[in-house]
This record gives sequence, C-alpha cells and structure tokens, in this order.
Amino acid sequence: MIAEEDLVHDLKQAGTRSQAFEVLVNNYKQRLYWHIRRIVLNHDDTDDVLQNTFIKVYKNIEGFKGDSKLYSWMYRIATNEALTHLKNKSKRMGISDGELQSRLVENLKADVYFEGDAIQLKLQEAIATLPEKQKLVFNMKYFEELKYEEVSEILGTSVGALKASYHLAVKKIEAFLKED
Amino acid sequence: MKKIDKKNPFKTPEGYFDEFHEKLVERLSDDKVVIPDKDGFKMPEKYLEGLHKNISQKLDKKDVKVISLKPFRKYYYVAASIAAVAFVVLGLNWNPSEKFGFEDLANTEIETYFEDNELGLNTYEIAEVLPIDELEIIDILDTQFKEEKVLDYLNENLDDFEELNLEEYE
Repeated sequence: MIAEEDLVHDLKQAGTRSQAFEVLVNNYKQRLYWHIRRIVLNHDDTDDVLQNTFIKVYKNIEGFKGDSKLYSWMYRIATNEALTHLKNKSKRMGISDGELQSRLVENLKADVYFEGDAIQLKLQEAIATLPEKQKLVFNMKYFEELKYEEVSEILGTSVGALKASYHLAVKKIEAFLKED
Repeated sequence: MKKIDKKNPFKTPEGYFDEFHEKLVERLSDDKVVIPDKDGFKMPEKYLEGLHKNISQKLDKKDVKVISLKPFRKYYYVAASIAAVAFVVLGLNWNPSEKFGFEDLANTEIETYFEDNELGLNTYEIAEVLPIDELEIIDILDTQFKEEKVLDYLNENLDDFEELNLEEYE
C-alpha cells in the first residue's frame, strides 16, 4: 500500500491526481462504506453519501494540511455527510430525527440488503435510541474496532469522553436487549 | 453457664446442594446479554467494483448554470406573500372588540399569557411577590430529570468529560 504522504502528494498534483484518486477510492471505499452504512442504514443512501464523500475529498484535498491522518480526515467528512444526509431527510419528510431513525430501522425488516436475524434487528433498534455521539462511538468501537485515539481524532472528542460515551451506550444497549 | 448445644438448627430442602450449581449456571445464562458481533448489513454484489467509475463520471460533469427566463417571478411571489401576511394581520385587528373585564379571562388564559410573554420584571420585583422560602425546586421544574438523561446531556455537551471525575467511566 502506498504511503499516505505520497498519496496526498500525488492527489495534489494535476498530473498524478486522477491515478492517485483511483488508488484512494480503492483503498478506502470498503471501510468508508460500512462506516456510513451503519449511520444511514440503507444501501442507496449509503451509495449517495459515499460518492459525495469522495467527491468532497477530491475537491478539498488542497486544503488538507496533514494535521491529522488522511483516513481520519476522510472519516470525518464521511460522518458529517452521513449526519447531514439524515437531517435533510427528516426535514424533507417533516418528521423528527428520532422518528426517522425508527422508520429506517423498521424498513430493515423488508430490506433485501439486511440479512440480520431477530437479535441483530433488535440491536439496530437499540442503537437507534442512542444519542448521536453514543451511536457513532459505539459503531466505531464495537463494529469497526477503532482505537479510542483514532475515534478521538475523527470526532474531535477527548478519549475520556469517548470512553464514557461507549460505556453509556453499551449499558443502554444491554438493557434494551434484555427487554422482551 | 449451661452448655449450649452447638448443633445447627437450620435445615435445607432435600437435594438442594446437588442442584445448586446447575441452577446457578442457568441463571447466569439467562442474565447474560450478548450483543451480536455482526450487524447483518450486506451490499449488492460487485457494487464496489463500479464505484470509482461512478464517482469519476460525476466529477467530469461540468456545472451548467441555469438562467431563469422569468427572473422577476420570484419577486412577485415575495410581494404577494408580504401582502397576504399584512392582510391577515389587519383582518385580525379589524373587528372592534367588545369591552370585557379582567374577570372574563379564564385562569388558563392568564397562565398562557405569562408563559408566552416577557413579564418585564427584574428578579427583585419577582422576589417581592413570590414567597421564595415556600418554593421547592419541583414547583419550577415541570419534569424530574433522570440520572441517565443528565449523563447523556453532559456526555453530548462537555468537551472534557474527565473533569467530572466520574470514576465509573475510566
């Protein structure tokens, strides 16, 4: 895999940008897809957000100073794009964010791209009840297995606050799964 | 002192200790909540293979500026909206109100008025009329805060959660 600094350098040069962009997309598409998917839940919305994320990265790569890791920066863009997508969707539908979450989870029952069993569906219902930050932290720690330091760089939140978020999220999910 | 019989006076049901371990394991299995390690999501076959091509096509599309053929139409709509609002406001104030007294107002209407409008009183003036020593916090708060909600609020809004020194979350 190409070193990150070299990739960023090639992305910023007109002559190598196109090829470097293809490398970037191929290296990060899978990780970013699942990260976004766990936020917006259905494939079609994920596809939109994922493409918008890469387009935003392409158009703003000149502004990337290297203060953080490239993937942290991309994850941040992906997260913000996904959350904005949900907010816009709930506004368009004239419903609250919470109501949208409920509907999105309900739709999973008939979603051909969801093959989870009853407990996995209940897990998604549980996650949908969490406040936004706890939801993000839970997904990034539990499913994506990112380190707290990595999550901290992506979300701009202290490691201590993230540990608290994760602890609260797990407690709530366990309590929710225990309910009949 | 009379010697007290040290024999254990208590009894257990028959077979109690034989079945104890089994019952305990069963109880632990019931209580244990296992969060599934897979989320159940899947993606269409070969979706990722075509992704770069789709994105490249979008990047290649040039932005086309749409020039409105009737640019002043939007101003007509704005003017019509302002006229409609002005008409509604004037219409509401047009009807001469019958004279009525304070006693005609229902208590609920008075409460709603205080809730919806600035009283224009400073805290000293409020303190003069309110018996502070008889007030309880529940008189002011409509809802009781659950600990969980307080923690959620702090967690979502504090930059440095560690300053709270909540040992449970270390």
